Amino acid sequence: MRRSLSVLPVVTIAAAMIGAATSLALSSDTIGAATTAAGRCATAGLSVVQTVPTTLVTTVTVGILPAACAGGILRVAVHNGITSSEGTATIPGGGGTVTVTLAVAVAVTVAEQTDVVVSGP
Amino acid sequence: MAVAIILGGALGGSLGRAAAADLNLTSENLTPYRTCTLTATPATTTSIIDSNVRQGSATSNFGTTTTMLVSSSGAANQRVYIRFDLTACTVAIPATATIRLATLRLFATVLPAACRTVDVFKVTATWAETTITWNNQPFGTTLNNPPTGSRTDSFDIGTPVGCQNLTANAYILGADVTSDVAAFVAGSATNFGWMLRDDVEASATARSSTYATKNLGTVNRAPQLVITYVTVP
Repeated sequence: MRRSLSVLPVVTIAAAMIGAATSLALSSDTIGAATTAAGRCATAGLSVVQTVPTTLVTTVTVGILPAACAGGILRVAVHNGITSSEGTATIPGGGGTVTVTLAVAVAVTVAEQTDVVVSGP
Repeated sequence: MAVAIILGGALGGSLGRAAAADLNLTSENLTPYRTCTLTATPATTTSIIDSNVRQGSATSNFGTTTTMLVSSSGAANQRVYIRFDLTACTVAIPATATIRLATLRLFATVLPAACRTVDVFKVTATWAETTITWNNQPFGTTLNNPPTGSRTDSFDIGTPVGCQNLTANAYILGADVTSDVAAFVAGSATNFGWMLRDDVEASATARSSTYATKNLGTVNRAPQLVITYVTVP
């Protein structure tokens, strides 16, 4: 009886730690609830047009932004396979069109990848 | 026995609360898009091709000229063929991606004096930049073929007020080719590019719009295809 009592706290601590580890595994139920809360302000297409004064992309104009995106932060990143550059701008009331100036101009190549993310509103 | 129960309960409860706090789901709404901009330059030898076919020079190839025309004129009509290899994108577009918008952009250098409608058709057979002619073009030599109803999109161009594109030396607003690109990406159609022709060919008065080709070698006038997509709908 004495022997079994002395073992029990250890067993219980281990059980508690296992329980904690299990709770860290993000179950789909928990994530699902969060995803529901994080809605998107745009679901249709956005127009993305580079401004190229000569041979470098200096700004990116994002259009067809819905009014629901007003107040959100528009983040744009351009990558040409060698160089990357980013810029941000705030989406005005009513949405519409926003021009983002890149921190560093990016050379035009056959293909540029432009990632556009609206944070918020 | 009682000790074991209290100790276990205290530790278990404490750890349980800590784990819940660590989740800290402070959500921020994110709307992500990815865009691939393909630009035709002389270096894009085979990945992006453009050419002009001319009824008046039915057996000649114009794959290396610096301009290409869409022209409606009696028996001297002209059409544009252009194709972008989507695999040239810096990051490959997944076959499961949802194409939100794909826009064909051409730089117009000369506009017709009358507002003309230019139709954009998905090409359904192969062609080559340096061999295509009026006589061997995929859509054949019949005028006003394929019919307007089968076009992917169209745009108006000309100097009159009210025309969609009325400024010379500027990119046109763009032709919406979203449905075609979606089919190319999904693999349900083969990418042979597009053909542009005047909506009503054989005009009694010649009407032409002129566009820069990749062979002009001017980056900020080059033909472009801009594809905006999402990987998670």
